[in-house]
Amino acid sequence: MTPLVRLDGVGFAYPKAAPGRSRFEIRDLSFAVAPGEVLGLIGPNAAGKTTVIHLLSKVLTPSRGEIFVEGEPLRSLGRAEVARRVAVVPQDVAQGFPYTVGELVLMGRFAHAPGRFFESAADARVAREAMRLTGVEALAGETLGRLSGGERQRVVLARALAQEPRLLVLDEPTAHMDLRYQAECVGLLRRLNREQGLGILLVSHDLNMAAELSDRLLLMSGGAAVTTGTPEEVLQESTLERVYGCRVVVDKHPATHRPTVNVAWPDR
Amino acid sequence: MTASLRALALCLLLVPGSAWGLEVVDQTGRVLTLPSPPRRIVSLVPSVTEIVFAIGAQDALAGVTDFCDFPVEAKGKPSVGGMINPSLEALVTLRPDLVVATRSGNRAETFDQLKRLRLPVYLVDPISVEDVMRLVTALGDLTGHRDGAAVVTGDLERRMKMVEERVAGRRRPRTLYVLWPDPLIVPGRDALVSELIARAGGESVTADQGAGYPRMSLEAAVARAPEVIILASHGGGTPVGRDKWERLESLPAVKSKRLYTADGSVMHRYGPRVVEGIESLARLIHPEAFVK
Amino acid sequence: MTGRRKLLAVCAGLALVLGLVALLSLLVGSARVAPGAIVDLVMGRGPVEGTERVVILGIRLPRIAAAALAGGALAVAGAGFQALTRNPLAEPSVLGVSAGAAFGVVLAQISGLGQGVVEALGLTAFAFAGALVAGVSVYVIAATGRGLPVHTLLLAGVIVGIFFSAAITVLISLVDTNRLGGVIHWLLGNLAPIPAGALGVFAAVTALGLWLVLGKARALNLLALGEEGAQELGVDAERLKRRIFAGSALLTGAVVAFVGPIGFVGLIVPHALRMLVGPDNRVLIPAAALGGGVFLLAADTLARTVVAPAELSVGVITSFCGAPFFIYLLRSRAGRVMP
Repeated sequence: MTPLVRLDGVGFAYPKAAPGRSRFEIRDLSFAVAPGEVLGLIGPNAAGKTTVIHLLSKVLTPSRGEIFVEGEPLRSLGRAEVARRVAVVPQDVAQGFPYTVGELVLMGRFAHAPGRFFESAADARVAREAMRLTGVEALAGETLGRLSGGERQRVVLARALAQEPRLLVLDEPTAHMDLRYQAECVGLLRRLNREQGLGILLVSHDLNMAAELSDRLLLMSGGAAVTTGTPEEVLQESTLERVYGCRVVVDKHPATHRPTVNVAWPDR
Repeated sequence: MTASLRALALCLLLVPGSAWGLEVVDQTGRVLTLPSPPRRIVSLVPSVTEIVFAIGAQDALAGVTDFCDFPVEAKGKPSVGGMINPSLEALVTLRPDLVVATRSGNRAETFDQLKRLRLPVYLVDPISVEDVMRLVTALGDLTGHRDGAAVVTGDLERRMKMVEERVAGRRRPRTLYVLWPDPLIVPGRDALVSELIARAGGESVTADQGAGYPRMSLEAAVARAPEVIILASHGGGTPVGRDKWERLESLPAVKSKRLYTADGSVMHRYGPRVVEGIESLARLIHPEAFVK
Repeated sequence: MTGRRKLLAVCAGLALVLGLVALLSLLVGSARVAPGAIVDLVMGRGPVEGTERVVILGIRLPRIAAAALAGGALAVAGAGFQALTRNPLAEPSVLGVSAGAAFGVVLAQISGLGQGVVEALGLTAFAFAGALVAGVSVYVIAATGRGLPVHTLLLAGVIVGIFFSAAITVLISLVDTNRLGGVIHWLLGNLAPIPAGALGVFAAVTALGLWLVLGKARALNLLALGEEGAQELGVDAERLKRRIFAGSALLTGAVVAFVGPIGFVGLIVPHALRMLVGPDNRVLIPAAALGGGVFLLAADTLARTVVAPAELSVGVITSFCGAPFFIYLLRSRAGRVMP
């Protein structure tokens, strides 16, 4: 089966680095996400996780290697074509003007008919469905400024779903979120994965959440892949200590039996 | 009105060889063809307004500008606004058959608009006192007031000759004329005031500066050690900056207390009062020549 | 679709207002023209007496057309630039283009151009040249190998604008006092009737600029999410930015060339309209095209009637009247301004 997305020996370096900082690179990265799979991308800061997202969405171009989307080279696909297959849910919601939730979600339909001036009735239907799935239908007339953090994330998720992608790429979806939101988010993503068959590439600092949701994990460090496999395989104490540089204890979650990572707090 | 014009045109056609239409050449060499001597003139130039009144042709003047303040009767004429931005509507409403404008003071855009509206424009461009005389004569011809013009030019020539005689042979003191104190603006080449100073028996220290009325640094002016300084006043309490000059005690003019104020409006307009300007300048520069 | 319906409603409403303001403007002025004469002229019924015909057709109508076009062009340029820089306080003159165009015109005026009809077009060419030099300079300064970063664009625009303003000041200090009044008068921004041929060119250039900006209005909305955000949704952000920049610069340069530098319209009209119709550029930009015309036309009508027969500069009116109105709008509908 053709993977949704495949990186083949991909390398990337920023053309100009800030003085005093080394040129950040992604070195020889290869992995794939199968259709309907949830792949968790984890690793310490500056491991290159966000760069991978930018490479996938064509914001950045790889210096070496090739990226394939559903078997086709990313190079040869137009931005709109990519956006129809891969939807990114960014961590920060940049916004300069007070668009309503409804208008923002509708923006996700752009890639499907970029030449249209106004969206079609079909576009509106897809957008409404996306809002229903994420539970923000009632907020359609509100502006983002009046929403809570969790609601805002769900709006951005709805916009990504409106793109009708095959692969959903999430950048730190539960960062700064309280427990309830984290639980809702995991539940929603799991439903989308199971009911819609949506592939998910999840980038997160939250190792436990990633372990819970993902079928497979990819651990990165310093721009290269360290190891990949099931959560149990990847989340080994020795591996984590080597990569993160601090002592950890890996347990089993009492309810789900997925591995949970606990930091061994220093100087107790 | 259209009917009578048509009749007139027919008459002119029937008379072969008659000079129908007045052909006039303005001061910039442009040729204008007027169907008849102008009876409704709009003057966009205050000096022209003055001349028209002086030669007695004010009945032919249909409109003036806000700056046409001499003679007093001129203020009684309808105004079309300023020199830079006259109201086109007001102008057109006056139904002029001739508009008099100048290249220095009115805008080129105004001239373009008038041409577009098919109004005949007579451009004046006097630089010297001779030009003023010629302008008086030309306006006299234009309005059919040749005699009035002759009277004016005769009078002006007589008065200039008198001044010339009085200052003849006397040494010309170095004279600085301050048109505006800050920034310092002085009369340069081709400036009317430069010629007035010369005719009044003085030697303008700025006559070699740029064309028209250029700016000059205070230092450069002081370096020329003027013996006479004349500060132009523009009426209405505009600053003359007298004390600034009085502080320059080393200047010959200040030492001999030859720091004068003069009425600027008389000197800067290309009208009949330029001779008044010559006279007042002569009295300041050569007071000894006018003691009875 | 509510989008379409809203666009139609807004445009119809503003077009109506524009028509009313134009009619009112036709009726007032320094000259007394009977309303009946206007009706007669419009209907083609004659005869209308010479003066009235000249005033209406030769003076007022071309001036009204110029005001409507210039106001619309400035407002659309402002809306485009605000969307491009994601900053609702951006102004077309921030591009530096209007300063460059103004420099071109002042240079031409000082070297003695503008004495005839042909030279009037030459004046326009100088303005376009100035606008082009400024626009290209800004682009070259701001563009890096990777594209056109917005903050550098703003900075480059400000710097280029300052440079050309300084250059204009140098020219002013050198020009002889006789011509000074005329140059300063032009710099203050004044509307005057434009001959029909020039008006046609002006309209055509404005239409081109409007197409450049409006044609990508939907993608422009997505730019509000940031360039990366827009790209992730399928927008070619670099091409879009270049196109909007070109359109905005073209519109601004055209106004300066044909009418003169008029400030504040490009800032206040799109911002005020955004408060009323929302940030969707597909509605906002057409609204700006009409609303800008209304605003400038109203301002110019005031400028030429308030102290008749003298005239105020229209730039004075746009600033004095625009600012308090803007403050009122800001306070009463604060919620819809910022997210």
